[in-house]
Amino acid sequence: MISALKRQDNWTLIGLFITLLMLIALFSWQSEFFFTTRNFINIGQAISIRGLIAIGLTVVMIAGGLDLSMAAVAAVAGMVTASLITLEVNSVLVGVLGIAAAGVLGSFNALLIVKFRINPIIATLGTLLFYRGLAFVSTGGDNIVIGVNAWSELGRGSWLGAPITVWLFLAVVVLGMCFMRFTVAGNHLYAIGGNSEACRNVGIRVDRLRGWTYVAQACLAGLAGLMLTSQSGTALPSALNGAELDIIAAVLLGGIALSGGRGGLLGTLLGLLIIGVVQNGLILLQVQIYWQSVVRGAILIIAVTLDSLRRGGGYR
Amino acid sequence: MRLSNVSKAFGQVKALVDVSLDLHAGEVVGLLGDNGAGKSTLIKILSGNYHADEGSFEYQGRPVTINRPADAQALGIATVYQDLALVETRSVAHNIYLGREPRRFGYFMDRRKMERDANVMLEELNIRLASQKTDVELLSGGQRQAVALSRAIAMGGNILLLDEPTAALGVEQTQQVHHLITSMRRQDKAVVVITHDLSDILDITDRIAVLRQGKLWAYAPSSETTTNQIIGWITGVAPPHVRNGAVEMNNGSDQ
Ligand SMILES: Nc1ncnc2c1ncn2[C@@H]1O[C@H](COP(=O)(O)OP(=O)(O)O)[C@@H](O)[C@H]1O
Ligand SMILES: [Mg+2]
Repeated sequence: MISALKRQDNWTLIGLFITLLMLIALFSWQSEFFFTTRNFINIGQAISIRGLIAIGLTVVMIAGGLDLSMAAVAAVAGMVTASLITLEVNSVLVGVLGIAAAGVLGSFNALLIVKFRINPIIATLGTLLFYRGLAFVSTGGDNIVIGVNAWSELGRGSWLGAPITVWLFLAVVVLGMCFMRFTVAGNHLYAIGGNSEACRNVGIRVDRLRGWTYVAQACLAGLAGLMLTSQSGTALPSALNGAELDIIAAVLLGGIALSGGRGGLLGTLLGLLIIGVVQNGLILLQVQIYWQSVVRGAILIIAVTLDSLRRGGGYR
Repeated sequence: MRLSNVSKAFGQVKALVDVSLDLHAGEVVGLLGDNGAGKSTLIKILSGNYHADEGSFEYQGRPVTINRPADAQALGIATVYQDLALVETRSVAHNIYLGREPRRFGYFMDRRKMERDANVMLEELNIRLASQKTDVELLSGGQRQAVALSRAIAMGGNILLLDEPTAALGVEQTQQVHHLITSMRRQDKAVVVITHDLSDILDITDRIAVLRQGKLWAYAPSSETTTNQIIGWITGVAPPHVRNGAVEMNNGSDQ
């Protein structure tokens, strides 16, 4: 127990949890609509699609990497899926192909970063523009409308009173936590983020494992793209444009270090909940839309400051 | 294990020039030399971190190649690096068994067994830490050394390479490491130890190798060497003195 408290990761989680409770108390006091089942479902729905991407990013960052292209990947996956649906391809096959397309984009990220040794920020900034461009070029900038059909279940259906998107997100969170904590590969990802050279010395396949994190991240982004398309009945080439920053903010807020090796999915979940609750609360309190951007920016700044403080030194 | 005519250059810097050494089971070689003499480079070539530009290796009489750390491990070579190569954000136990974690059902880590084994290991080595679950970033320099050493010993190889294992240690802890080295010798392992501390070196080693500007300047049995001679070789005041492979200590068989 003492040693559990010595770990700063655990303090981060406790701090996040208290922050979340305080925010919930604040908004419940300010708005009668906040503390209702309906509203909690709204919050869950709002964070689950971005949350899927945040889960992937968490794993990438624990292994010491970064991926900025994930929202663009989701957009491409959405476009691919929607065009296949309009071609009346079998639903299951559509899903598989949509996620596979995302996986291919993720492999390209992995190739640039692991094989050609390009800094992940630069590499995925490049692929962010490239993939986003692809999404627009594919239709010359037009949306693809698929309307309501068998596909809509994924984004609009519900089960046991909660949306399927929320269930899927929670399932991925739990699976991801088990993977990172209990498997050898998950523990190796932590170690790689902590000291990749030491891992190479003992024969851990650092490059291969790192490469897979980018592919997994892209597949999750692909799934998010599918859910979004299904939910709105339309695939937009501009889907999730700019969401990268909110997602990174949630992950950093949750205690994942930019330098890797630290944090966990529980932290990311708390980070997502905090951002979700704040955004929801601001809407309920009818705060002007421009102020919401200010608050988003403030959260991102707080998140990076925390990251720097946790490292005990910061930028020099 | 024998290495012949090993050379390595980093650009213009000739880190190693034509170095030949042999290591025997149950024998400790003290590798000495000034800063920048090429000691760490030699260790990193043996551990597969660097690739030699020239030279060849023999293990138990067969020619072998060491291209990657995994090759060195397969030959039973375990290394304590000068920078220790620990993962700060992981526990003591995970650092000791890094890359060789006990598994369950193939893919899962058996954390309990790992922590138990680490405890046994640390007890056997007479190393005291608060808990093997502590993250390495919370340990002192001496404790980190101990963890790095435990990892190398836990690998169970026949050849142990120690790059300045006592650099961060106090007198008592240094004694303890020397103790460990002696017990490795008794277990018939071949040990190479780099150190700047000349006080006990003649007692714990069987042979002394001195590198100077990348060249093997001196190579002699410890029993025929004095501390003053060593200082002469390190500084280059004394002429080169290489008695390569001529000594057969303890009837040591070729490793
Ligand atoms: N990775 C490297 N890149 C360039 N030069 C290096 C590298 N490693 C070592 N050197 C150079 O090789 C020489 C020997 O270094 P090293 O083996 O670390 O010496 P020692 O361990 O004996 O102090 C030094 O001149 C050092 O600057
Ligand atoms: Mg050195």
